[in-house]
Amino acid sequence: MRDWLLLLLLALACSLLPLAGDNYVLRLGTIVAMYAVLAQSWNFIGGLAGYPSFATAAFFGLGAYTSAVLLSYGAPTGLAWTAAGGMACLFAALIGGAILHLKGHYFAIASLAVGEVLREVVNTTPDLTGGGMGMNLPVPKLSVAAAAQTFYFSMLALAALTTAAAIIVQRSRLGFGLRCIQQNEDAANILGVNAYGYKTAAFCLSAVFAGMAGAIYASWVHYIEPPDVFDILLAVKPLVMVLLGGIGTVFGPIIGAFLLIAFEELVWRSFLTIHAAMLGGIIVVLVLFMPNGLLALVRSGLARLRPAGPKP
Amino acid sequence: MQAVRTVFAAALALGLFASTSAVRAQDVIKVGAPLPLTGALSPEGLKQQRGYNLWAETANAAGGIKVGGKPYKVEIVYVDYASNTPRAVQVAERLITEDKANFLFAPFGSGAAKAASGVSERYGIPTIAATASSREVYDQGYKFLFGTFTPNETLIDPLTEIVSKGDPAVKRVAILARNDLLTLSLANLMQAAAKAKGLEVVMMERYAIGTMDHASAITQMRGAKPDWVFATGYINDLILIRKQMADQGVSPKVLTMIAGPAYKEFTEATGPLAENVSSASWWHPAVRYKGVDLFGTTEAFNAAFEKKYNVVPDYAEASAAAAGAILQLAIEKAGTLDPAKVRDALAAMDLVTFYGPVKFGPTGQITSLEPPVFQIQGGKPVVVFPAAVKQADFIFGK
Repeated sequence: MRDWLLLLLLALACSLLPLAGDNYVLRLGTIVAMYAVLAQSWNFIGGLAGYPSFATAAFFGLGAYTSAVLLSYGAPTGLAWTAAGGMACLFAALIGGAILHLKGHYFAIASLAVGEVLREVVNTTPDLTGGGMGMNLPVPKLSVAAAAQTFYFSMLALAALTTAAAIIVQRSRLGFGLRCIQQNEDAANILGVNAYGYKTAAFCLSAVFAGMAGAIYASWVHYIEPPDVFDILLAVKPLVMVLLGGIGTVFGPIIGAFLLIAFEELVWRSFLTIHAAMLGGIIVVLVLFMPNGLLALVRSGLARLRPAGPKP
Repeated sequence: MQAVRTVFAAALALGLFASTSAVRAQDVIKVGAPLPLTGALSPEGLKQQRGYNLWAETANAAGGIKVGGKPYKVEIVYVDYASNTPRAVQVAERLITEDKANFLFAPFGSGAAKAASGVSERYGIPTIAATASSREVYDQGYKFLFGTFTPNETLIDPLTEIVSKGDPAVKRVAILARNDLLTLSLANLMQAAAKAKGLEVVMMERYAIGTMDHASAITQMRGAKPDWVFATGYINDLILIRKQMADQGVSPKVLTMIAGPAYKEFTEATGPLAENVSSASWWHPAVRYKGVDLFGTTEAFNAAFEKKYNVVPDYAEASAAAAGAILQLAIEKAGTLDPAKVRDALAAMDLVTFYGPVKFGPTGQITSLEPPVFQIQGGKPVVVFPAAVKQADFIFGK
């Protein structure tokens, strides 16, 4: 109940942003929401099941291109976005069958390759996707402010939806099973957890929302090319965000997304050329000093404040 | 924990300090310039920055830009987008909404310029693209985007003409292209132009952005026995391709590379291997024009550039400086900073600058330039086309 209330409050607070900021603030908000979706998505497979996936970029790009191709054939936007999620989910189910029996580093490398393969597929099908020349999407006939708000609210709604899915999964049999898999997959199997089915479900969950985020992104910037939407950073940043916020938690990924984007913006604004090094340094410090994420730090801080009280 | 807090505090303090130090001065024209100052495209980004800086300093030294009789100083707001196109789009919006840029220079290259042009179009901010040539950038029906590079085929057509006329024995063409907007577009045009001239395209391969080894493509190239190798890419790609071709002993009669050899760095990095490499670019320091802009003649521009940077300007640097000069002429003509009026002045422009004659077509892309073809001879690029500025004849390899 507490989680649902928090989600509702958070979504309400975020939907007030258009009153407070200009279009650039809305753009940043949209980016935070997009990364919250990606971080939340990664958390299903990486945080709960403990499978370090780098396939987020693959799902994102696949969604972006699915939607872009459908839109170029005149499909309505809503359908294209939904189909992008479906396509990513289907793809995850298929590819999951091939790579989810790998563990640890082997799985990480295999999932990394998925994105590269898709990128090459897009590159080599110029008739459908424009190849390296990229794809233009129809520009929505909206004013600047209306477009900024539309995409902000779309991305925000998706982030809320992803978080709702996270809350449901965390409390369900699936979430429990995934945690068992993370702790000891063999033991989980013996205890009757269908490890293979659960992992595939988690992988699909980590794909469907990422694919839709890619679709919304494509409509938002209305020009995509393979290096942009299959960018490896789209796979790495969500992972850092989850680590930053708190792995395996419901709100950790959102907090992480907000913090990392805020840091990035601050550092990037202040240093013309060495921002990447600064950001790297900050990430190293964060991971060194807060290995369990910010939420864990806050929780342990709270626990220290009231040592006598009963544990919640 | 203390350490973390200190780092946070330091980062925050630095951020606040940097953002407040840029207090807005009076009577300033702000031009936003998103550039890839870091990442894979940083060599190109830094070149563009040199061109912009030279323009801004020259304009300010001459008392600024006169707008309706009142002088305005030029301030260029640089933001690095780390060679990442989505970030370039984000930068464009930030420059317009947060930094209140009056005008924009587009990010580097065709792809990023195209992506970012959507933002400046929506806000109605005149934007000059100094390094975007592909037609696909300008065919979006936008009104506020202007480009100083002619379409790509203006580079290819004179080249195929020279080669096919110069040596009828050149029959087999191998094309190796970077899978990127400009470079792929050039390769496709080359393929079409070669076929139109009755040449046989024996290889047409794309390589991925960031490829660090071209060995397999070049092995295939050697097998195809080409008379003419046509490779596209940016400077780092082409240096690598040239060296690996030498490693594998591929030495065609004609070797054309776009868009690296125009840069001095290419000749420096490849040494004797650069010899006889042909290329084409939108501008060359050997051209001679008498302009009405702040630089005046091409010679004067070359001299000013060499004085400041100790190197001869290349086409990207000249185009960036020209973008500034053109913007200045348009602002002075309009007599106001009103973006719509400056846009109209740009659209109606028809004059000569140090860079060449400037007239934009209906799409906003320049139509008046005649891009030179050149070849590295004796370690230096010499112009072989057009006839008006020709310095030497085209040399064919054995």
